[in-house]
Amino acid sequence: MNPYQTYDAKILEIRELTPREKLFTLRFVDSEANKEFKYKPGQFVIVDIRGFGEFPISLCSTPTREGYIQLCVRRVGRMTKYMHTLKEGDVIGIRGPYGNGFPMEKMEGSELILVSGGLGMAPLRSVLWYAIDSGKYEHIYLLYGTKSYEDILFRDEIIHLLKHGDAIGCTVKLAYEVESPSCIYLERGFSPKVCKGVVTDLFRGMEFDVENTYALICGPPVMYKYVIKELLDRKLSPGRIYMTLERRMRCGIGKCGHCIVGTSTSIKYICKDGPVFTYWEALSTRGLI
Amino acid sequence: MIILRYVKLPSENFEEFFNSLKQWGEINAPVKQGNIYSFKKVDSLKEVSLDYTRTMLPPKKFFVKPRDELLKLKEGKWEESNGTKPVVLFGVHSCDIHGLQILDKVYLDEPVDIYYKKRRENSIIIGISCMPDEYCFCKSLGTDFAMTGFDLFLHELPDGYLVRVGSVKGHEIVWANEGVFEPISEEDLKYFREFEEKRANSFKRSLNKEGLADMLDLAFESPVWKKYEKICLGCGNCNMVCPTCRCYEVCDLWVNAYEGVRVRRYDSCFMESHGLVAGGHNFRPTRLDRFRHRYYCKSYFDPSAGFNCVGCGRCDEFCPAKIEHVKVLDEVREALK
Repeated sequence: MNPYQTYDAKILEIRELTPREKLFTLRFVDSEANKEFKYKPGQFVIVDIRGFGEFPISLCSTPTREGYIQLCVRRVGRMTKYMHTLKEGDVIGIRGPYGNGFPMEKMEGSELILVSGGLGMAPLRSVLWYAIDSGKYEHIYLLYGTKSYEDILFRDEIIHLLKHGDAIGCTVKLAYEVESPSCIYLERGFSPKVCKGVVTDLFRGMEFDVENTYALICGPPVMYKYVIKELLDRKLSPGRIYMTLERRMRCGIGKCGHCIVGTSTSIKYICKDGPVFTYWEALSTRGLI
Repeated sequence: MIILRYVKLPSENFEEFFNSLKQWGEINAPVKQGNIYSFKKVDSLKEVSLDYTRTMLPPKKFFVKPRDELLKLKEGKWEESNGTKPVVLFGVHSCDIHGLQILDKVYLDEPVDIYYKKRRENSIIIGISCMPDEYCFCKSLGTDFAMTGFDLFLHELPDGYLVRVGSVKGHEIVWANEGVFEPISEEDLKYFREFEEKRANSFKRSLNKEGLADMLDLAFESPVWKKYEKICLGCGNCNMVCPTCRCYEVCDLWVNAYEGVRVRRYDSCFMESHGLVAGGHNFRPTRLDRFRHRYYCKSYFDPSAGFNCVGCGRCDEFCPAKIEHVKVLDEVREALK
């Protein structure tokens, strides 16, 4: 079987999440391919727009909801710009899933702290809904840092969880940077869960049982350092901090060499050995974050 | 299981043997072009330079082509590009055989790259012994002698070649040409040992690989990297000519309004775009990062395949800034003391 061959997937629905991000709901044209496509939160696929190119993108739907996959695409480069011009009913190619994904089984019974900044919400949404749907996790905290009200990804879901999340064991906390009437409205309605600031401000006053907690981080590269500091200050072990990383992946299967990181003692492929790594692995692999 | 067998190919039968290889595939051998050597299609033995030092591009160009068509777009679907013709690589040095084995580790690892696999299966590799020049340092990396990875290996004798058979295919070639080979004599073996000894003593360069990987890991902030950042031109020549460099970039090209191709071509970790992601973030933004990255990648030690560097000396010979691989690593080691 040719690992570079892609499978037809039809765009069922396109939702505009923000002016920059669209959510694509896809289903494989071939029903067999649809059944065979099994993935874990944190894995990614390669989207193939035939004749234009390929790009890697993380899955933001959860495997607990079958029959479709969802991709949240920010219009940021040549390929994603093209992706944004597609319409419902168009067919694109998908290959994957690739990568290791989050160790969801291992974390069962624990508290999860999901820390996301900006577009980092996309892969963590998969974890969030997987955890909520499976009900196997003690409590889920989602700390989400966003630029402004308009930039909140999956805004309806986030607001819904702000309102009703506690009843299903999920606490959402939101930090915004740019003040606007909508944000102030949110802050008044859901204080102290919503505040002005950055994502690390949401850790204020937070205590957790370090023996029974896992932290999962995804965000822009600058965010990791500060978030990890907050977690380490609270004595969370580096082995309990998971993060998912991004690189210029061309093949997704450890051939093209673009995602190689590390030094002579610790060469790793982000696409194959990752994209989910523990902070411990980041400490022993230079250049990972 | 490797079945080793030694036979002798006398000089007078050499041309006959060479011509008989044509039935196994298109013969590609080192040919002198200006002041470099290159693996090219040859028709007769006259064209071949058997005493070559190193070709500019290593034999990887037959398996991962500089411009490689992966898929063809026909009516909105990708079709596999086909057409793998059998090739005989004649006169491959042991460092390059080791280089191919390192590529095997990458491309034949799951999921298997079918293009690479097909080409590897459709190739016959005939090695040849060599004498080191001022750039070679394969002996220090243990890649100066190939135990596997070839079909036949020719070792120079005064009156012909001692031939090591390294594969089933190699046996088949010997069987098909039984008339041209002879059994080896004690004297041939003696000469073979003498040649190997002479060769072992002719290396001018050697890489100190003692604790190399750990040493480099400690030397992440070494001032030597900063020094070489200013010397290196960032041209990526060293990547192109390296037998184990395998980074590639993929792009889609339109042939006409209805048909397109997906092509991969060599990429270089010295290019600024290598670590760039959409949105403008670059994971290796400076030349220092990129320079260091190459040395780290080459000095990585895989327990089952050894170092990623085979000591062929190409990066030194073809570096326009005259940066020497061994010297850089020695300087880094020195600065750490």
